[in-house]
Amino acid sequence: MNAEEIQAIFFAECEESLAAAEQGLAACMAGTQDDDTVNAVFRGVHSIKGGAGAFGYIALQGYTHTFETLLSDVRDGTVPITDALIELMLRALDTLSDHVSAARGLGETPDDAALQAELTAAMAANAGAAPTPAPAAEAQPASPPTVHAHDDDDEVTSDFDFAAMLDDITGSTSPAEASDAPDDDADTSWVVKVRPHAGAMRNGSEPLLMLRDVIDFGAMCIACDVSQVPPLDSLDPGTGYLGWIFAIPGEVDEAMVRDVFDFVGDECGLAIGDDAPMPPVRLPEPRALAPVAQAAPPIAAAPAPKAAATPMAKPAAQPPVAAAPPASAQTAPAPSAAPPPAPPAMGQSIRIELGKLDKLIDAVGELVIAQAMMAQRLAGDGLAATEELALLEGLTRDIQESAMAIRAQPIGSVFSRVPRILRELTASTGKHVRLDVSGESTELDKTVIERLGEPLTHLIRNAVDHGIEPAEERLAAGKSPEGTLTLSAEHKSGRILIRIADDGRGIDRERVLAKAIEKGLVVPDVIMSKEEIDLLIFAPGFSTAQSISNISGRGVGMDVVRQNVKELGGRITIESEPGSGTTFTMTLPLTLAISDGMVVNVGDQTLVVPLANVVESLRPEPKEVQGLGAHRAMINVRGRFIPVLPLYAAVGAAGAVERPEEGVLIVVETEGAGRAALLVDAICDQRQVVIKSLDTHYRSVEGVAGATILGDGRVALIVDVDGLVANSLSDAGQFAAGQFDTGFVEAA
Amino acid sequence: MPTISLPSRCDRAAAEALLPEMIAALDAGTLTIDARECTQIGQAMLQVLVSARRTGDGAVIEASSHLRETARRLGLSAELFDDAPATGKGNCA
Repeated sequence: MNAEEIQAIFFAECEESLAAAEQGLAACMAGTQDDDTVNAVFRGVHSIKGGAGAFGYIALQGYTHTFETLLSDVRDGTVPITDALIELMLRALDTLSDHVSAARGLGETPDDAALQAELTAAMAANAGAAPTPAPAAEAQPASPPTVHAHDDDDEVTSDFDFAAMLDDITGSTSPAEASDAPDDDADTSWVVKVRPHAGAMRNGSEPLLMLRDVIDFGAMCIACDVSQVPPLDSLDPGTGYLGWIFAIPGEVDEAMVRDVFDFVGDECGLAIGDDAPMPPVRLPEPRALAPVAQAAPPIAAAPAPKAAATPMAKPAAQPPVAAAPPASAQTAPAPSAAPPPAPPAMGQSIRIELGKLDKLIDAVGELVIAQAMMAQRLAGDGLAATEELALLEGLTRDIQESAMAIRAQPIGSVFSRVPRILRELTASTGKHVRLDVSGESTELDKTVIERLGEPLTHLIRNAVDHGIEPAEERLAAGKSPEGTLTLSAEHKSGRILIRIADDGRGIDRERVLAKAIEKGLVVPDVIMSKEEIDLLIFAPGFSTAQSISNISGRGVGMDVVRQNVKELGGRITIESEPGSGTTFTMTLPLTLAISDGMVVNVGDQTLVVPLANVVESLRPEPKEVQGLGAHRAMINVRGRFIPVLPLYAAVGAAGAVERPEEGVLIVVETEGAGRAALLVDAICDQRQVVIKSLDTHYRSVEGVAGATILGDGRVALIVDVDGLVANSLSDAGQFAAGQFDTGFVEAA
Repeated sequence: MPTISLPSRCDRAAAEALLPEMIAALDAGTLTIDARECTQIGQAMLQVLVSARRTGDGAVIEASSHLRETARRLGLSAELFDDAPATGKGNCA
């Protein structure tokens, strides 16, 4: 792993930390202001600071330091949590997010001077009120100004100017005074033993920086274990030989100290408690026994001869270790690591480079195709009922589902950006908006999630800018002065529905229509349904905003939204009620890679109808089909009339069945256009299809969702049922003329 | 008596680069390590210094104030410097 990769991990962790902090602050705002919540915010900011220091992002580190100091005071209870404070911290978090982006090279470093002053002021305002300032808290008010000092002499010092940083932290405290500190605290202070391993020293990571953070908490070094340092000719500078014992003030909890070393994971041995043995050196070769044996003397020097001796005497060390206090048992790597050096508890998750995952998904896609080809070949030889084939099919499906599950992520990662968007909108429009979110744990494919951000942002801006009225107008209409934006996500028949609803004024259809006529988008005197008028707002260049604001009103937003959603293979619909609000519903596929489809024959063509749309299939009796005009027919399905759409007309297939009663009707459900019955010659199969995007390989074709490769190697088009039905029902005449170009199939 | 000068930035790369030189120099008797220019130091170099002190005839370290301060905070003064208060090796100064 090189430095860039580690840095990428740092930034990924920054995102997680920011999200966690944001969540914590949101909980604070909602009234949950317990220690856990405040700690979560603190930890988020703290871990960003740690990484920023390690990578030398001085501005980010300086800013997080100020922010963290305030949070530390909040956690200690010296600064009370008020609405104003939460609001300040939310703003501070937004700026922190900008700082992280700047560190990534994705923007300018924000000017945080004013905000830092506000943060410092928030601390200072309450500094006098602190009843019993803890030693750590005492040191902190001095810190913020000194952080700026880092910025100033950044060029001269370095990314790990340890002594200078220590000076900052301890200020003018003389060594003698510093040494006295833990004694005052003797009753409550506790001991941590630290042994950085090789990984903590690799790729620009520097253990001394982490030790600095520990000293930052008010910790004092009791001893340095040098007993493991070998003679020079057998020393590997990349291995961690030194171990340190620190006395930590009682106010500092274990989680804070662990957080410091979180950044290097298990690459730093930690043992908590006076009695816990010093974590052993991790040598490059598995020479576990020797270092353990040698590890005893230094520990014996520390006040824990018993703990060190017991495990040594008994090879089966588990019972004595378990008998130790739970904290130390958990953290101290088993001292008698005679078998392979016991790996410290593995994390619950691992990070995978996305490219590798994509390769896996591609390979699974090919596997599905290969399996289908083999099934077809065997069927040709009369071996379709082979038991092993069924087994293989089941396994292939399992692998595919597991692979897709790896890519699935909760939509909460997109939703979590919304509070910030709303805060910015509140700042620029003066409209206060409450956010209701539900279904944030709904999972969908990472690609979909990544591309969802833009349309979602547009829709939210639009809802606040155009939908939600100013407070006076709301009050006059008998509504609460605060607007409500509801975001929800749910799974529904193999797709995901995302709703963005506001309780604003709704779409002013009269104005929309007038504007559309004015812009020449529709002819005057046109008769349009409510839904059709609503859809006009998606027309390119359409905007009813009286003045162009920097939020919305340029008439590009909604057009782009529809385009984005379409590109994701989804649809967007509008429901609007004048006076009570507008709801946008995005319907998106869960994945863009593989889906279940019904393979059908239409004349000389083979098509795939996505199973998600299929309700049922039937062979109609002649009396069930009734003509409607020249080109259209309806079928009576249990008393309900459904329009029949001949697929052959859409694809221009030759030699297809033209009379519904001679073919098969597939009843499909669509989002916007209700049900329809697609007329096909025959249903051949129902199978998983690997979706190949037409956009990537050819171009976007209306009525076609993509293409796939069949078991016999032929390319089949996947029907975009929603698009096809919506278009053909709105314009039956055009439909008969054939809607899509099948050149791709012939070319393939 | 051989002398080896340390650079200003004593990071891991510096430790790796100077190690062979130090091993060779230690064979020739007490080594003098000139660390007066040192303004930054990491764990890798600290270990090398500790090891150099403990290998063969040992080494004398001429330290910068930065190095002294870092060693003091990390309980390595007695280990690294002859003139440190006699509190025993491995303990905080």
